[in-house]
Amino acid sequence: METKEESNRKADRAEIRTEHLTFSYDGGKAVLSDLSFSVFRGESVGLIGENGAGKSTLLKILVGLLPGYRGKAEVGGLQVEKKYLRQIRTKAGYVFQDSESQLFLSTVYEDVAFGPRNYGLDEAEVDRRVMEALEQVHMEALKDRQIYRMSGGQKKLAAIATVLSMRPETILLDEPSGALDPRNRRNLIRVIRTLQGTKIVASHDLDLILDTCERTLLLGEGRLIKDGPTEAILTDESLLAAHGLELPLSLMRRSR
Amino acid sequence: MDRLQTAIAALHEVDRESGAYGAESSVHPLARLIVCMGFSVTTVSFAPYDLSGLFSMSLYLLITGIWEGIPIGKSLSGLRYLFFPVCFLGLANLFYDKDVIYYLGSVPITGGMLSAVTLFGKGVFSIMAAFFLLRLIGMQGLCRALERLGVPRGAVTVLLLTWRYLIVLLKEIRRMWQAYGLRAPGHRGIHIRAWGSFAGLLLLRSMDRAGDVYHSMLLRGYDGTWVREGTKGRERAGISILYTVCWLGTFLLLRSIPLFHLAGSLLGSII
Amino acid sequence: MHMADALMAPAVAGTMYVCSGAAMYQSVRAVRKLEQPEQIPVMGVMGAFVFAAQMVNFTIPGTGSSGHICGGMLLSAVLGPEAGFLTMIGVLLIQCLLFADGGLLALGANIWNMAFYGCFIGGMLIWKQMMKPGMNRRRIAAASVLGCMVSLQLGAFSVVLETLASGITELPFSIFLAAMQPIHLAIGLAEGLITAAVLIFLYEARPSLLWGYQKAQSQTAYGRLSLKQTLGVLAAAFLVTGGLFSLAASASPDGLEWSVERTAGAAELAASGDVYEAASEIQERTALMPDYAFRESETASGTPVSGIAGGCAVLILCVGICKGLRFFSRKAG
Repeated sequence: METKEESNRKADRAEIRTEHLTFSYDGGKAVLSDLSFSVFRGESVGLIGENGAGKSTLLKILVGLLPGYRGKAEVGGLQVEKKYLRQIRTKAGYVFQDSESQLFLSTVYEDVAFGPRNYGLDEAEVDRRVMEALEQVHMEALKDRQIYRMSGGQKKLAAIATVLSMRPETILLDEPSGALDPRNRRNLIRVIRTLQGTKIVASHDLDLILDTCERTLLLGEGRLIKDGPTEAILTDESLLAAHGLELPLSLMRRSR
Repeated sequence: MDRLQTAIAALHEVDRESGAYGAESSVHPLARLIVCMGFSVTTVSFAPYDLSGLFSMSLYLLITGIWEGIPIGKSLSGLRYLFFPVCFLGLANLFYDKDVIYYLGSVPITGGMLSAVTLFGKGVFSIMAAFFLLRLIGMQGLCRALERLGVPRGAVTVLLLTWRYLIVLLKEIRRMWQAYGLRAPGHRGIHIRAWGSFAGLLLLRSMDRAGDVYHSMLLRGYDGTWVREGTKGRERAGISILYTVCWLGTFLLLRSIPLFHLAGSLLGSII
Repeated sequence: MHMADALMAPAVAGTMYVCSGAAMYQSVRAVRKLEQPEQIPVMGVMGAFVFAAQMVNFTIPGTGSSGHICGGMLLSAVLGPEAGFLTMIGVLLIQCLLFADGGLLALGANIWNMAFYGCFIGGMLIWKQMMKPGMNRRRIAAASVLGCMVSLQLGAFSVVLETLASGITELPFSIFLAAMQPIHLAIGLAEGLITAAVLIFLYEARPSLLWGYQKAQSQTAYGRLSLKQTLGVLAAAFLVTGGLFSLAASASPDGLEWSVERTAGAAELAASGDVYEAASEIQERTALMPDYAFRESETASGTPVSGIAGGCAVLILCVGICKGLRFFSRKAG
């Protein structure tokens, strides 16, 4: 049982905080309802749930792509609203599910440099940031590659680099392992594990969550069902089954 | 759907090769654009019977092709689309202009023949010039040239995005067409019942993608103004100006002096 | 249908560039006034879509042939005429460079013939007017077919005028026109129907994507095309067509006059066959825009053989020098 003082201090360090967050598209059925949680600096948190549970919606709200939510959503101590968007977007970077949409310029370098340039940095600094971001995902050698000539795995890493070049404190990954083959997936996991800062990984690839996150939030129909250590949640077969998920393969093998 | 395959192949080739030819060049893309335009203007300005004058213009294509190492033969493969109007009008000239201009040996050459060949020649030359231009400067270079010309940033951005998503959508269409073809063997086109949905579904997906692209731009600080891309080439202003002036001068010279004839008479007097 | 470089005189090409440039300037201003930054990616992706979708063959029942969608009409029905026009320019530019559809010189004319008529006549006049009372399937189909047919007719007519004004063909105006217009009536009908099918699909799937849908639903002063705008578009189209028409009329004398002029000229010059005389004509020939009284250079310098032999010699020499220089420069570098 933590003291009030302790919880206050923890809340100060909260990188991301929501309170009673509720959202619906165009006034329809609520996609997220009454969602309250905090993610602290340096944590890596998995966000799991079946299709339509509201994982992508939550991430998009946090970076201000979906205005008109009710309740509270804070990133880096700033309320997600129009006047703070520019600051929030340097604090939190969002990696799209579809890398093809995220990479809209023709070469990797140009695309990774797009963000820093928009923030008015000079070319020397832009170059430093681009190279640093590419190093983190081991893509330096491919910097002048045409994007359409890259494999799905390379595109995903490049998409992550476009976000890293903004030097965010938090990085939000939306279904990062979708459509990747096993080798590219393993490589991606290695990269995610070495990333500094706070991470939120939304996925129904539970093995990926198991390998990259210490804490997990389980969403079901827009509500927070369970919040706890990854190991504990991902081994709870009946809980997972109740929300359309299955045990991670690696744990299945272990249990047999 | 032949054109679909051609388009994908051509796009791949241009993106692979663009920069390969002109990357190390110290000539600004705008200079190349201007020279290409100058070439086209000069080429089409030759009179309908001035075959040898027109063919002296091939010097530009030959020199550029050899110097930059562009496969000239390959560029001719694009000529399949030397379209209907040129052929139609060229052939029409054969019938409407039957006066014999001179005899080549014992073969009478009519005005229609000369003007038809000239017309084809103009078509082939201008197509080759456009082919060379894209391979020399690539889409990036073209956009830089257009910006330099004062075309608004927004319009250039639209062009860049169109180019970027062209290959994605072409491949998507090819997949859809293959899936369609598997279930409708022997069809050469889309059946009337699927007219709306075939293209419509892709359009809907394209719009969703446009939304994602826009979001991705927003998240990285885009606010409606496109920040200047810092890609500065190795080009030097002096060399670019020299390149432009030299070529434009050469075109003017070729346009005014019957070079091939002069060379021919010279050759004749030597022999 | 694309106009080709070979069919254009520089003056006509330049005129068409100016016309298309003016329309582009107006469109950029109009789009900027809307201040919708999200339009930019939509325009880019839609441009790629139209380019790709034009590669698809749609079978036309009962004919064995196939048609394509009409880009200008589709784009202006989704993006509005101005944004549609700008997008279409990008599509035509890429087609011109990638497939050599037309050529760089003819681009101005092609933008006018296809994008201007498609977006401003098909989109701004026809689509906008017909959607004023509200959208429904029948109106969409009618507007699309009418818009495509009208804009293709105007486009084909412009091709004829531009070609004749360039003085490139010996084909009489009437025959050329009779060959072009009916074909494009059929093509316009087919393209209109295909485009209508796509637009109706959109209307049923996600009507908010169609340009002016929301305004049409709310019935509040939906973008009534002001009298001024309507007159402006009509006047621009009329002026350019009329100008081309008079150019064509003056540049293309009838076949008889032409051949007389030419044979007379040839006879006159056939006798004098001297290189020096040819060289002395330089002054005359420097004009970039000849009046197409033909240069008789083939006959002027005697036999065509000298031209052929000289041409071969020059080309071989040039190739040799180039290859040599390249070889040594690579070696040095």
